[in-house]
Amino acid sequence: MTDTQWPVYEVFHQQARGEPHMHVGSIHAPDADMALILGKEQYCRRQACVNIWVVPHEAIHATAYENDDIFIRGTDKSYRESWGYQTPKTVRATDGGTADDG
Amino acid sequence: MDKIETLDALTGATREAVVHLLYRMADDELIIGHRNSEWTGHAPILEADIAFSSMAQDEMGHAQAYYEILHALGERDPDTLAFGRKPREYRCASLVCLPKGDWGFSLIRQFLYDAAEQVRLTALAESSLVPLAQLTTKLRGEEKYHMMHGRTWVLRLGNATTESHAKMQAALDRAYPHALGLFEPTEFDETLAQAGVCTREEELQKQWESAVAPVLDDAGLEVPDSARPVFGGRVGKHPPELAELLNQMQMVYSIDPAAKW
Repeated sequence: MTDTQWPVYEVFHQQARGEPHMHVGSIHAPDADMALILGKEQYCRRQACVNIWVVPHEAIHATAYENDDIFIRGTDKSYRESWGYQTPKTVRATDGGTADDG
Repeated sequence: MDKIETLDALTGATREAVVHLLYRMADDELIIGHRNSEWTGHAPILEADIAFSSMAQDEMGHAQAYYEILHALGERDPDTLAFGRKPREYRCASLVCLPKGDWGFSLIRQFLYDAAEQVRLTALAESSLVPLAQLTTKLRGEEKYHMMHGRTWVLRLGNATTESHAKMQAALDRAYPHALGLFEPTEFDETLAQAGVCTREEELQKQWESAVAPVLDDAGLEVPDSARPVFGGRVGKHPPELAELLNQMQMVYSIDPAAKW
């Protein structure tokens, strides 16, 4: 079905400086400036937010769900999981929260 | 200029002038908030509906904050002030009383109004009346967003199509004389200025004109040069639309003013 509305922008919000931007939803808007204006009330009126990104939906390249088997681990790969390496909050705080937590 | 640290320290003519100022600001906020809430469920698109409704709530929240100060100064409680007064007891400008019109009119009105509010809040952030300065400083972030919202819409609709431009120009022609009425001189201006509470209305108007002119110009809109300000709101003389609005807004409250919600 053809979408006759304004283009879709995906909205990402950031709850505090240094935190990652998280996808919170999408919004129709005629351009990026208006998407920022409308996205602010759409997604940030109920929760903490210091910054939002808007990205044209068509700028996003995605895998196909029919290929979702590529994400299945064929053998035990638990050695890759990082749950055993807890980063103390104090360490994260001292690096300003900007370091890549991997 | 001596600071007035608490509301209790307000006395005499200054106190009376502050009460009048707060009624003007609170009633403007309440009535434009109600007017804009009339778009809830009716705005052109969902996203615009949510943003405009949310801003209407902001304005009502500001009204409530001002009514609370009034209550602390000995006026009636905020609900009674919002819902329990007769039209002539309100001190809002005619701009906020006018029906919502088309989307272009409501956007232009909100833009002109927000620019005025921003100018006033900026002045009040430096007010000698400390509790008012503190409150207005808190509200300025919301107003900044309102200005970004209004500017974004006005620029787009002013420059979009021949039809949208014509509608925006017609809206501006209608709204502008009423917007000038936001700066209606009052008998309290001198007292407020002398006490360092609030800048004189004529000075605020000049700042407002400097703020709105470049945006309107960028939007290809012309300020009507023969606009004559519509006064009366600050002394309780309102267009008939205010009484109609209040009838609707006060309908539920007036059934049982003592009801607890």
